[in-house]
Order: sequence, then C-alpha cells, then structure tokens
Amino acid sequence: MAGAAGGGRGCVTLRGAQIRDLLEAKHNVLFDCDGVIWNGETAVTGAPEVVSLLKKRGKRVFFVTNNCTRPRENYVQKFNRLGFTDVVEEEIFSSAYCSAAYLRDVARVQGKVYVIGCGGVMKELRDAGVPVAEEEDAEPGASIYTCPLDPDVKAVLVGYDENFTFMKLAKACCYLRSPECLFLATDPDPWHPLRGGRVTPGSGSLTAALETASSRKATVIGKPSRFMFDCIASQFDVDPARSLMIGDRLETDVLFGSNCGLTTVLTLTGVSTLEEALVFRDSQEPQQKDCAPDYVMESVADFLQALDE
Amino acid sequence: MAASKCTQLTVALSRHLLDSVDCVLFDCDGVIWRGDQAIPGAPEVISSLKKNGKRVFFVTNNSTKTRQMYADKLGKLGVEATADEVFGTAYCSAVYLKNVCKLDGKVYLIGSNAMRQELEDVGIRPLGVGPDPISGVPKDWADVPLDKEVQAVLVGFDEHFSYMKLNIALQYLCNPDCQFVGTNTDTRLPLEGGKAVPGTGCLLRAVETAAQRQAQVVGKPSSFMFECVASQFDLDPERCLMVGDRLDTDIMLGSNCGLKTLLTLTGVSTVAEADANLKSKCPLQQKMVPDYYIDSIADILPALQA
Repeated sequence: MAGAAGGGRGCVTLRGAQIRDLLEAKHNVLFDCDGVIWNGETAVTGAPEVVSLLKKRGKRVFFVTNNCTRPRENYVQKFNRLGFTDVVEEEIFSSAYCSAAYLRDVARVQGKVYVIGCGGVMKELRDAGVPVAEEEDAEPGASIYTCPLDPDVKAVLVGYDENFTFMKLAKACCYLRSPECLFLATDPDPWHPLRGGRVTPGSGSLTAALETASSRKATVIGKPSRFMFDCIASQFDVDPARSLMIGDRLETDVLFGSNCGLTTVLTLTGVSTLEEALVFRDSQEPQQKDCAPDYVMESVADFLQALDE
Repeated sequence: MAASKCTQLTVALSRHLLDSVDCVLFDCDGVIWRGDQAIPGAPEVISSLKKNGKRVFFVTNNSTKTRQMYADKLGKLGVEATADEVFGTAYCSAVYLKNVCKLDGKVYLIGSNAMRQELEDVGIRPLGVGPDPISGVPKDWADVPLDKEVQAVLVGFDEHFSYMKLNIALQYLCNPDCQFVGTNTDTRLPLEGGKAVPGTGCLLRAVETAAQRQAQVVGKPSSFMFECVASQFDLDPERCLMVGDRLDTDIMLGSNCGLKTLLTLTGVSTVAEADANLKSKCPLQQKMVPDYYIDSIADILPALQA
C-alpha cells in the first residue's frame, strides 16, 4: 500500500537518516524529468550524481516523463549533454513512447493513426511499427470544409503540436465521429514551464479542444494515468511496494504515484509548492488527498546525504 | 410565465401567446434558416409579425458576421431586417468589452474579420486577426513581444486558429489584470450547405485550459445578449418571446431573463430532450424547458393571419 514506509500522504519533510531508511526499503526509483532532474537545458545541481550513485547501490532507475516532444534516443542525448553519463534508452519512458506501445500492444490497432503531434511522437510510432496517416500539405482548394479523410484511420492520437491548426482539429473531429475510432491523448498537462517562470500551452489544451469538438473523452496515456507504470512493469519486474516516485507536479507525478501504489516524493525544484501540497493533504476529497505526497524534499540532491556515506 | 411547461403550441394558444407579447427574439441557425436556405414560411412569419405591430430581433451566437452582414443574409432569404435588429456575438462582444469591461485600449483577438470590424466600430483596436503560424523554437514563444496596451483577450470563431495564437493568448492571460472574454461556448458551427465544423467552444476550451482561467462568455445563454437588446430598445421581459432551437442556449437564455420561450423543432433539440429536462430534479435542467414547442415557426402563421 502506498505510504507503507510511513508517509501516508502526509507531506513529511525528509531528512538525514529518514532518507537512508527510505532508500533501503525501495528497489526502484522513478524520476520525473522536467523540474526534478533538470530545468530546460540545465541539470538540477547534484542530480547526475544521485542517479549514478543510486545505480551503483544496485537500485533500478527509471525516467517517467509526460513530455512527448522527443523520441527516446534524443532523450539519451540530452541526458549525456547534461552530465548524466549512464542512462540508457530502456530506462526512459516518455508519453510518446508509451502512446506508441499502447497502440501496438494494448489497443492492437488495425489500421492507421491520425496524429496531432510533433516529431517525437511520429518517430516513436514509426519505431513501434504503428502506421501513421499521412498529412497532405495544404492542397489548393482544401479547406476546413472539404478535407479528405483516410478510410484506414482507426485511431486519433493528440499531443503537443506547435503546428496545430483548425484544419487538424476539424479532421480529427471527423475521424472521431466513428465510435470505433480510438481517442488517445499523450498527456493531460495544460501548460509546460519554460525558463524564467514562463509557460507554453501543453497537450492538455489541445486535447480539451478536441474533446469539446467530438463530445468524447480521450484515453490519456501520460501521468497521472497508470499506463506508463504498466508499460514499465511489462518490461521489468517492478514491485509497487518497493518503488519510489519522485516528481515536481502534484496533479500528475504524485497522483500517478498514488494511482500505482508507489511511495511518493515531491521535490521543490519545479512546478508545485509545499503550500499547494498541504492544501491537498488537508482536503476532504479522496481524489485531492491522492495528490498529496508522502514525503517532500527540497531537491533530489538531498539524496546525496544518504548515498555519499 | 406559463404555469404548465413544454406545451404544444396550437393555433388557439398561438393567438393567446402572441397577444401577450410585444416583441419576439429569434435565434437564426435552425430557426430562420438552415445553412443558406430559409426554413419554409419563415420570411412570411417575420413579415406578418411586424405587420401585427410586433418588434422582431435576431439573436445569434455565430460570431463570423457583422450585424450588416446578417441583415444582408436575411434580406437574401426574403426576410426584411435592418442591422440594428440583429444581435450577433461579434457585435455584442464589442459592446461588452466597451461597456462592461470598460476597455480603454487594445484587445488580442482570436476571431474573424467581422469581429475586428465590430470592435473597430466601437473604438477598440484589435490585434492578431488572420493566420499566425509558428516560427522559432519553444524558448522564443514565451518571449514573443507583447503589446503593453492590450487589456483583454477575446476568443471567437477563428478558422486560422493555431498553436501560436493559443500561445500568444496564454502569454497575455498570464497577467491577471488582462481580461478574458469569449463570444460563446457552442461546440459546433453550422455552415452554409448544411455541414458543421468544430465551434468556438473548442477554441475557448483550449485557451481556458492552457491559461487555467475561465472566460467571461457573452453569448447565449448568458443574459448579456438579452440585456444588449433590452437596453437599446427598452424592452419588458414579460412581454418578450424567445424563439430558438436549442434548449441549452436559446431556451436557457429565455429562462435566465424571464422571457416566454418557444422551442422550434427545425434545428438541434427535440421534445424528448425537453421532457427529460422537465422531469429532472436538477435546477439547471429545469431552466432548459420551453413554455411551448412547435414543429416550425411557419406554424405560427395561421394565428397571425386570422
């Protein structure tokens, strides 16, 4: 049961010996990326050392990110660039990778996928052998009123897309009129943080447009949905009771951890604050309480206190 | 307001209803026209109402045309109408920004040229109309230059909607003092030729989700649409009839404003849906029950011509 190590969604600040005890009890450590181990192109101080030391201590490390903009091989390059020297592709679970895995292994889609998304998603789908409906470039005379549809499309996948247009929204909506056409979203994040406290629209905002247009709800692959954990569990032997989820966003990372029966840690180097965590802790609603972490730490670097010995 | 609800409007009841009102407000799509075709009998009904001394207004959530463009469309379909009898959301949003938001500057507009024109006509300068595709890389997008004179973001129907526009709207809306207005929440926009595409409601949801803020919505069922007409023409709600085809916009507006309401079955909603609302215990659903229903507004004609 989540919080068996004593947290109980209580937002307990982790210090010293507690950190060591927690790590002793856990075999698997799942890290969110943005706001936890890096911010933009800058590693969180101490994060590369923490990952390295955890592995040396025999822990399994996984990276679970809703960011669907890169394929896994590009993530490996980013890890290397930022000083994480021993991260391999197999440890990285992004919403793009997991969406492709879902379509191929769970939905077993027989046909093409119409994608509203960026290069990262397209690459993962191709690598997984999932056929993507080709996007014709604007032909003369094509408009939102007369766009041709591909009869082989059996699923629509929506994620962050900087080239999102009304035409894509209209087309996706047409495909979704068929109840057999699957409706998937890579992740629910309404906005993503950029450096300097700025934000940019996220997959969640595009998904909201399509849900409203189609009067259908998308199946969301990314956190807080369980699927990314199921994806990891299908490839590795992970016992939830011996797993730790470390994230910076209460409504995605911590709720994900709760949903999967993991012990949860909020780090304060990203989006959510301690104050927000306490509000969730003190709420009467179960769904809100599940967004409260078992533990809180300033930064993943705090693990060094326990690992350096 | 009728003591009983959701009653079929017979000829006899029509006469009684018409005697009890001085003014009739019509929705357009699914009531007066479908796409580019008039509902048979609609032009004659409008004409006859006016001959009988009733004032007639047209109240539509569709933001793609100016009042004059609507008057022209009505004229082409054989319905006599002047621009000042038409209240579309392009016009009403401009009035809302000016009079309610007290806007004294610019607005970032996700919308049509019609909306731009209506805003300019009330002295508000809009930015942003037309295509705006993405350029640069993500870290540029948060740094997109913002005009300090922009005091509001207005979202209406925009076939050029893009990620870049969504991003720019978000940047403006990060300032809590920047007002946030939407023309309407309809999820589908009916087109000429009978088809439909995703409506303004979808674009508004995208912006609301990214900004984690709720827009002030001008269109039906918000009572502003009626207040806009009533303030210009000195109307008594109890002597007004709202005629529409949608329970969730037209009829709800009527309930919100204390008007009599008539559902016509030439458009979206059905009697079964109205009955389900009537039987429901939910107060919100109870507001979506018309006083009367009729197959088509053409069926009012016998009562008018008697």
